[in-house]
Amino acid sequence: MNDILLQTGWWVPCYGLLGALLTLPWSMGLVKRTGPRPAAYFNMFMTLVAFIHGTLLFRATWHHEPVELVLHWLSIADLDLTLNVELSSATVGSMELVTGLSILAQLFALGYMEKDWALARFYALMGFFEAAISGLAISNSLFLTYAFLEMLTLSTYLLVGFWYAQPLVVTAARDAFLTKRVGDILLLMGVVTLSALAGSLDFPDLYDWTETAQLSPLVANLLGLALIAGPIGKCAQFPLHLWLDEAMEGPNPASILRNSVVVSAGAYVLIQLQPILNLAPVALMTLVGIGMITAVGESFVAIAQVDIKRAFSHSTSAYLGLVFIAVGMQWTNFALLLLFAHAIAKSLLFMSVGSIVLTTNSQDLTEYGGLWSRMPVTTSAFVVGSLSLVGLLPLGCFWAFERGLDIFWYDQPLLSAIILLVNGLSVISLTRIFRLVFLGPPQPKTRRSPEVPWTMAVPMVSLIIVTLLSPLLMHNLGLLPNWEYINKSAGITLIASGLMGLIIGGTLELQKSKSRSIKKPIRVVQDMLSYDFYIDRLYGFTIVFLVSSLSRFMVWFDRYIVDGAVNAVGFASVFGGESLKYSASGQSQFYVLTILIGVSVLGLLLTWTLW
Amino acid sequence: MLSVLLWIPFIGAVVLIVLPGLQDSRRAQWVALLLATFAFAWTIFLGFQFDFSATGSQFQERLSWLETLGLQYQVGVDGLSYPLVVLNNLLTCVAIYGSDPDKERPRFYYSLLLLLNFGVVGAFLSENLLLFFLFYEIELIPLYFLIAIWGGARRGYAATKFLIYTAVSGIAILGSFLGLVWLSGAESFALQRDLAETLTLTQQLILLGGLLLGFGIKIPLVPLHTWLPDAHVEASTPVSVLLAGVLLKLGTYGLLRFGLGLFPEAWSVLAPYLATWAVVSVLYGALTAIAQTDMKKMVAYSSVGHMGYILLAAAANTPLSLVAVIVQMISHGLISALLFLLVGVVYTKTGTRDLTVLRGLLNPERGLPLIGSLMVVGVMASAGIPGMVGFISEFLVFRSSLPVFPVQTLLCMIGTGLTAVYFLLLVNRAFFGRLITRSDGKVVTLAPVIWRERSPAILLAILIVVFGLQPNWLVDWTRATIADFSGSPAVLAQRTTLPEADLARAITLH
Repeated sequence: MNDILLQTGWWVPCYGLLGALLTLPWSMGLVKRTGPRPAAYFNMFMTLVAFIHGTLLFRATWHHEPVELVLHWLSIADLDLTLNVELSSATVGSMELVTGLSILAQLFALGYMEKDWALARFYALMGFFEAAISGLAISNSLFLTYAFLEMLTLSTYLLVGFWYAQPLVVTAARDAFLTKRVGDILLLMGVVTLSALAGSLDFPDLYDWTETAQLSPLVANLLGLALIAGPIGKCAQFPLHLWLDEAMEGPNPASILRNSVVVSAGAYVLIQLQPILNLAPVALMTLVGIGMITAVGESFVAIAQVDIKRAFSHSTSAYLGLVFIAVGMQWTNFALLLLFAHAIAKSLLFMSVGSIVLTTNSQDLTEYGGLWSRMPVTTSAFVVGSLSLVGLLPLGCFWAFERGLDIFWYDQPLLSAIILLVNGLSVISLTRIFRLVFLGPPQPKTRRSPEVPWTMAVPMVSLIIVTLLSPLLMHNLGLLPNWEYINKSAGITLIASGLMGLIIGGTLELQKSKSRSIKKPIRVVQDMLSYDFYIDRLYGFTIVFLVSSLSRFMVWFDRYIVDGAVNAVGFASVFGGESLKYSASGQSQFYVLTILIGVSVLGLLLTWTLW
Repeated sequence: MLSVLLWIPFIGAVVLIVLPGLQDSRRAQWVALLLATFAFAWTIFLGFQFDFSATGSQFQERLSWLETLGLQYQVGVDGLSYPLVVLNNLLTCVAIYGSDPDKERPRFYYSLLLLLNFGVVGAFLSENLLLFFLFYEIELIPLYFLIAIWGGARRGYAATKFLIYTAVSGIAILGSFLGLVWLSGAESFALQRDLAETLTLTQQLILLGGLLLGFGIKIPLVPLHTWLPDAHVEASTPVSVLLAGVLLKLGTYGLLRFGLGLFPEAWSVLAPYLATWAVVSVLYGALTAIAQTDMKKMVAYSSVGHMGYILLAAAANTPLSLVAVIVQMISHGLISALLFLLVGVVYTKTGTRDLTVLRGLLNPERGLPLIGSLMVVGVMASAGIPGMVGFISEFLVFRSSLPVFPVQTLLCMIGTGLTAVYFLLLVNRAFFGRLITRSDGKVVTLAPVIWRERSPAILLAILIVVFGLQPNWLVDWTRATIADFSGSPAVLAQRTTLPEADLARAITLH
């Protein structure tokens, strides 16, 4: 039984894809009579099947040797591309997290997207999305991983562009695709080079190869930088982080997954690449540097947002920045722990945000107020999610941060400080949002706001329970340290930073309208943070400007120089013929003279060498 | 056996002209479609008899024709030409089926399409240099008329430009062929691998230069490409499909078969320059495509860029890269055919291809949702998203060329990034957003798309995905031929696969 389970382990990602295919008759509009609901049910059923299969698989792999499934996909000459899947408790566990969150998000979407005419298309995309991420979790070959990453890029593009009739969505979808694509192309360069150098793209082979690889430092570092470019784009790290903020224009149920598991997928790939990155010290340093910039910068930016979803998306970037630091410092355990805790807490928060947005029809933080008594489930989801996201009470992220502090406490005071800073700033941001949304007097948009329907409440409550139980889960998986090994001073400092944030966030002056300070220095900082360091303009001045002006020049060149030359030849011959026709005078002397001159010139040319 | 492929379209072309009672456009279309489908079925039938492991050409046929001239009717098919013949016959069916059923002068139109098919298949099957040249020239005539009669507003200019360019290309190729046979002292124009072995390197280089010019126009390579955008813009959709799908492949096929196949020594001397030329083509095509506002021109320039990958892989000339060449040819044939079909549908429904005007075509009830979805598939395949044939072909191209030309390959990869840029602009502008509103403020309702318009596109999209998931079905045909092709003695002497240390050094050196 176990054997069959393991051999069919690769089916799990296929269920999502199958679900997506099954929705085609509805999303293509071939079936209209039933409405789009059956497509949604199909997909949820397939995801449920995937989840159940995954659970059985997890039990089969628990305390067992990892199983490798290899398919020789394409072999030509010296190239052998394999589709390689590893089933171990870690990979299957990650896949479970993905399918589990996906099923909750899909149930949530049933309520959130109820009135949308394109429900079937949405579910098709969700199925595709889920297939890509769960495939990524068990992939054991860089080739396959790259393929899944690109599938993710495509499905992100389509999901962000779901409401394609809105102008902001159009630019958001474009930016999501292109910024990720920049990272992906660099990653592809790395993949191709690695394939040529190492001969195989399976992770075990690559790890073996790194043991003996003799690369010049330049090649190794360039390779490392190319490899981390893909995850930088996927995890929305500086300077490729713009897309996540804009992607918040898309439907919220997809945001739940995007801010939790999709960004984690990028980091997961990074962790898998880590042994190869050890060859490239510059790449590791870059990881730490980028992580630091993003973690600190985005934490501040999150506080300055007036859009509730965007505030959270910036916080996602900040947390992933910490993961980047962890990978750069080669502490993958810390990275994985943080990813896990963050994914669960963030998805709960995004469910809560989704409820708020749907009920109030607004994403503007200044238009909220007094929701706590009107939406109890949403409020508790927000509170639990927030507490689990920061190091204040011993919930998920507390343990992750504690682990990080534990590691960096003695040798890396700067990194410890950054963790504490991110924690404190996150508390400030969350407290600010909480006060704006739930406390204070109700405003026009929040006055009549009933609690969300059961389809949204059920996944929210389930996830609240999971979040509250997550420390227990982590304990059972052996991720938590024993009591006597805990670095008490680190833990106390962490809680202190959280309390500090709570106090600052609680006393922060809140504005109920969009306002900018009249003091210039404050205004400049505020603007800079709320516009995310003007990163979109930075793109505009550099890469976008470069490409667009180059392409305009090329068109000009093509039209006037290349084609101009061609047309000039045509014109010259027509003009020559037209003007020579006047020489046809009928006088034979003239013809003889022309022939004579022609023949002598030819004769001169032919005998040139004899002279 | 093999000649059937040639005679069906030829006889069909004659029949369509001669037989009375075919004035009715639909009837002529059905007759032509029947013949083309039969030719396609015959190709598939031959495929079942095809021996995968054989290295040489199969189903050879030989008839003496003008012996004194060295011209014989010699045809055969191998792993290099078979996939292209299939592609050609498939796309001919698509083009005939996708033609407007109320075409003017239908008999002439369909017989020209069949004649085009005849010329192209003949060129792929010829095993005689002169015979190849004849077919290469024959294919030009119907295409000229197809553009000049059924084309757009500036069809005269475009058709003449095409004619002059291709005629120059033909002259250059003929010159090289004549030079090769006379200099080598061969008795006939029969294609033999060792034809050029006795020639000095300078002679080889000059002859190869002629071929490069000739086939470079056909492919087309920058700066010999300006006929292509004009021809595409003016040609009707089925003609564009054939032009991009198959006719450009004649150039790369010729380059591979005659350039690389006959002059391996000179080829390896020129290879680094060819790879650089490929980079220029790729980046030039991609950058020029970004700033286009005519959808068809954008797709045409993207063709210029994508054909550059083929040159890159051909220049690398390893067993792997030659397979990559074939896969990229097929992949580009399918993808560009799909894109041109879709652009054609957009044009017939909206009356414009201008990206500054078109908006919101994905609109579910009034727009073209299915065409839009297929367009997303097409552009993603072209941009090299995994799961579609465009990805595996580009991956093979890059993977095989990198050890030989690291810098050029990396530069070409920027081209795939730029492909995403312009095609995303296309989809975002034309298909996203709100549907065009008329001047009186009402939303336009576009005529519904009928099955004749969408089914060929669906078929191509399915093929693109199937071959993307299972590229072995493409590769199996060519494996043996290529192993033999690149393993010819002269090439082997030139090229052994670079060991890892060499590669690392090669990368650091640049």
